[in-house]
Formats: sequence, structure tokens, C-alpha cells
Amino acid sequence: MPLLKLENVTKRFGGLVAVDKVSLEIQAGELIGIVGPNGSGKTTLFNVINGVYPPEEGKVFFDGKNITRLPAYKRAPLGLGRTFQIPRPFGSASVRENVAIGAMFGTLADKVSVDDSLEIADRYIELVGLEPHKDKEAGTLTPVEKKMMEIARALAMRPKLLLMDEAMAGMNPKDIDDMVKFLKRIKDEENIAIVSMVEHIMRAVAGLAERVMVMNQGAKLIDAKTEEALTDPRVVEVYLGHPTDKSKWRSEVWKEGKDWDE
Amino acid sequence: MKNTISKYYPLIPVFAAYLIMFIIGFFMPGMWQMVALLAFYCALGQSWNIFMGMTGYVDFGYVTFIALGTYGMSLGISYFSQFEWLGIGILVIGLILALFLASLSALLEAFIALRLRGAYFAIACIGINEGLRYFIEGAKIWGGSEGMIFFGALMQAFGKETVNQLTTFWADFSVFIIAALAAFLNMHYMRSKIGYALTAVREDEDAAKVMGINTTKYKTIAFLTSGLLGAGVGAMAWGLKLGHVYPGDVFVIHYTVECIVVVLLGGAGTLLGPVIGGLIYGLSKYWLAVIMPGFQLLIFAPIIIIIIVAAPEGVVGLLKRRLKGTQLEMFIE
Repeated sequence: MPLLKLENVTKRFGGLVAVDKVSLEIQAGELIGIVGPNGSGKTTLFNVINGVYPPEEGKVFFDGKNITRLPAYKRAPLGLGRTFQIPRPFGSASVRENVAIGAMFGTLADKVSVDDSLEIADRYIELVGLEPHKDKEAGTLTPVEKKMMEIARALAMRPKLLLMDEAMAGMNPKDIDDMVKFLKRIKDEENIAIVSMVEHIMRAVAGLAERVMVMNQGAKLIDAKTEEALTDPRVVEVYLGHPTDKSKWRSEVWKEGKDWDE
Repeated sequence: MKNTISKYYPLIPVFAAYLIMFIIGFFMPGMWQMVALLAFYCALGQSWNIFMGMTGYVDFGYVTFIALGTYGMSLGISYFSQFEWLGIGILVIGLILALFLASLSALLEAFIALRLRGAYFAIACIGINEGLRYFIEGAKIWGGSEGMIFFGALMQAFGKETVNQLTTFWADFSVFIIAALAAFLNMHYMRSKIGYALTAVREDEDAAKVMGINTTKYKTIAFLTSGLLGAGVGAMAWGLKLGHVYPGDVFVIHYTVECIVVVLLGGAGTLLGPVIGGLIYGLSKYWLAVIMPGFQLLIFAPIIIIIIVAAPEGVVGLLKRRLKGTQLEMFIE
């Protein structure tokens, strides 16, 4: 049984079809990348999966349960964690309290007290390396620290599936490599499935995911092994454009050193 | 165990302040009236702050709860004072009615207005308050615009001596109790999951939902608590103490504004803030009314503006920053 299953999910905003009949299956413990250019519907798909808004058509199953119409706050305790593209810390609370909030209302919600949650928080803060900033107000962290804090907060929820929205945007290559290593490690240690969404940093995708789904204009373009997907001509076309006759002609013109308008 | 108790240390300065106020009022002749006024502002600030301080929602219609509390007590005394065997039970019925009316209105308001945010929420609450007032006046229920006068009923049920004690001491004393109860509940919420959930709501409500927080539930808990405490203050300080109620006197937004001033002066979302704010506001209002009757608002408005500009986090906000890293830190919240 797949952990997450989408069946022909469609989400419209007025006349705009943001997500167009997307089907997807994710197994427990899998690492999958969702790739697509700006505006291809990745974030909307995330929002449908974790219940920010319901889809117009199609069904969402999590752990064998139909969650299509379940409100967002009931999905987190089932094991759906999420980080945001632009980090959304609870600014006035300390880093420790932020992460503790994750533990308090995640899958352990009924089992842990406030004190337990703070202890769980300490563990995940150490895991992401924010120990020195533990008692700082979350709003005062740097953007990268905020991202790490969000990851710790999502992990403290003890999710079965973690949705990561552009976890590596704005990072330099070294940070990206570190992050990829880190995600692979926590995937094994915590035994969670991770869906990582990436707009254009192929370095991140190639190193991270075993499987990639490429989206374009709301629809699923391809769902295949990472290498296969990233070299597929349709994917190249989505990112780099179609080699038109005119551009071919222009490149020939260029080679021959002729004037453009000829 | 020690850990659990030390979490509640910030209650010590609050309770100490209330105790000192009570002792001054009780043992110094002529001070009781002023102390009662201070307790009234502290209790209202503390109750209002439970909802506003924790959720960030500004409830401009808060006076609705105080008014309904007054009406509850008035109805209890008016209709049940004929059963003399009830004795002090008449007041218990009055308080129960006050809490019942307030919770009814709180749940209704939570259902309608808590779906809104920011200014829309504030306006909806004002609308409900005004609507209720004109409904009572227009539909002529509970005496309509003429209100209810039940001082006579009170006299009949308890006799002159007891009524005198009830209105001049016990009504004010119960305001102290409500203020302390409000402080305790506020502290307890701050230290429990409710407090963490509401911090998340205050900072980013949509992210809070995604984190698994049932935002409506926690907002309603805080709203209801805040409203019920306000109703308690209304029932005692207005209903029992004055012996009459007119809709034009109780459904007045002015009192909500006073709550806001008290809380902002002291420090929104803090435990000690409403106490300090209530003391500053109550004392200066009392003092200005003595030395310059009629001009108090004219003088008070610029003072409030200056304090709010100079110390946006309130007096307790400043104090907290001063005491950060010292031994005293754990006593201030």
C-alpha cells in the first residue's frame, strides 16, 4: 500500500488550472523530487496534499485513508509534515518553543506533555545544529537558520511523510551538498518519506532523489528514475525552450558570420 | 515536582500586588473605594488580556460580556429574590445566569466573528455589542431601555444590614477573587499546550493549521475564558454593587477601550502587565478626577500616547528586558 496516493487531482483558481489531473504514488521511506519551472503547480500540489485547500476533482489518500476533505490541522497528526518555501517561524517564540510546538501537535500529540515536547525539541535542534541559538527568538535567525529550524520543527512532528518546499533555494553548492547528505541521513534514521520540491537546482535533485516527478503547467510531465527524467528531451524543453527553426537558422547564420537581418 | 512549581513563580508578584491592595483597602480607613476601583481595572485587564494577549485578536466588543454578566445577576436577583428560603443562593443563581448568558454569546460570537481576522474581527464584535443593546431596547426585553432596578428586591431578600455588607464589601472582594482567578488561568494557559497553540496562532495562523493545531478550538477556549471572567466582573461590580442595570450604561464601548489602555500600558500578553497597567490607569484616573475634575481625559490621552510610543511593549516589556539574565527573571512573565 502506498503511503501517499493522489488520484487525478485537479485544482483550479477561477479559470486557471493550477494542478491538472495529477496522479502520484509515494511509498513509505521513499525520497522523491518534484521538479518544475516557476508556476508549474508544485506548491499548489503541496497545498492540496496537506490540506490548505481541497481539490476540485480527484482524491488524496494517506496511509490508506481518504483525506481529500480533511482539514489541514487533522492531517498533521496522521503524519504529514511540511516546510515552507519562505520559512514561517513563529517569530516571537524561541527556537526551542517553535520546535516543541511541532512535537506537541504532530503524530505524538496525544502522548506527549509540554515538558516531553521541549525535550524532543532539544534533540531535533541538536540534529540540525541550532544548539547555540536555542533560546533566541525565531524571528531573529538568519534565513538559512530559519530553514533549519523549520526542518527541525517538521521532524519533531515525527511525520511519516515530509513535504519540503524549496528546502535548498538560495543556498550555495556546498550548503546544498550538506543538505542533501543531511536529508538522506534523516530519511534513514527517522524512517520517513520525503518529497522535496525543487524549481531549478538540478544539483539538489540529482544528488537527492531516487525518483523524480516533473511538472509543467499543472500537469505531470514525467515520473521516472532521476537520471532518466532529467535527460528526457521533454524535460529539457520545459526548462530551455524548444529549438525552433528560427533559432537553428540563427545559429547557422551566426556560424557563417553573416548579418542578422539577411 | 519543583520544576512544575517554579513554572508558576510569575504568579507571585501578581498575587502579592493583589494582597497588598487588599490589605491597604481593608485596614486603612477610606481607602476601600479606591482599591476596589483599582481591582476592577486589574480584573478587567487581566481577563481581556487572556484572549487578546495570547491570540493577538483585539476584541472591541468585550464589554458585551461584562454587560451580559450584569444582566445575568440582575435577572437572578429580580426573579428569585421572592423565594426567601434561597438565601445567598439567589446570588449563586445570578452568577450562574451571568455565566450562562456570557457563554451563550461567546460561543455565538466565536462561531460568527472568530472566522474573521484583524480589523474585521474588531468591527464584527462592535456590531454584535451594539446590536444586542438595541435589541434589548427595541424588543423591550429585560425592561427594555428602562432597564431593571432591583435594589428593593435585594433589600427585601436580605435585609438592610446584609445588603449594605454585600454591596460595599463582598461585591468588591469578589472582583479581587476574579482578578486572581484570571491571573491563575492566564498563567496556566501560558504553560500548557493552549499557550503554545495560541502563540502559533498569533504569529502565523495558517502555518499553525499546517502544524496540526486546531486553531478554532484554541481560540474559542481563550475567548470563552476571557468572556466568562468579564461576565463575573460585570455581575459583581456592576450588578450586585449598583442594584440596577440600564442597557445604555453597560453596553458602552468606552469600557473596552479602558481594557485596551490598561493592557497596553502594562504590556500585552504578559501576566503582570494588566496589574501594573490597572494600577497606573486606575490611580491616575482617580487622582486626576480629584485634582482636575472634568479634565482627566484631556490630560490622560497625551500621557497614554507618550507611554505607548516610548514603550510599545508596556511597562512589563521594559522590565522583562531589564531583568533578562538575572535571578529575578523567572518571577516576571
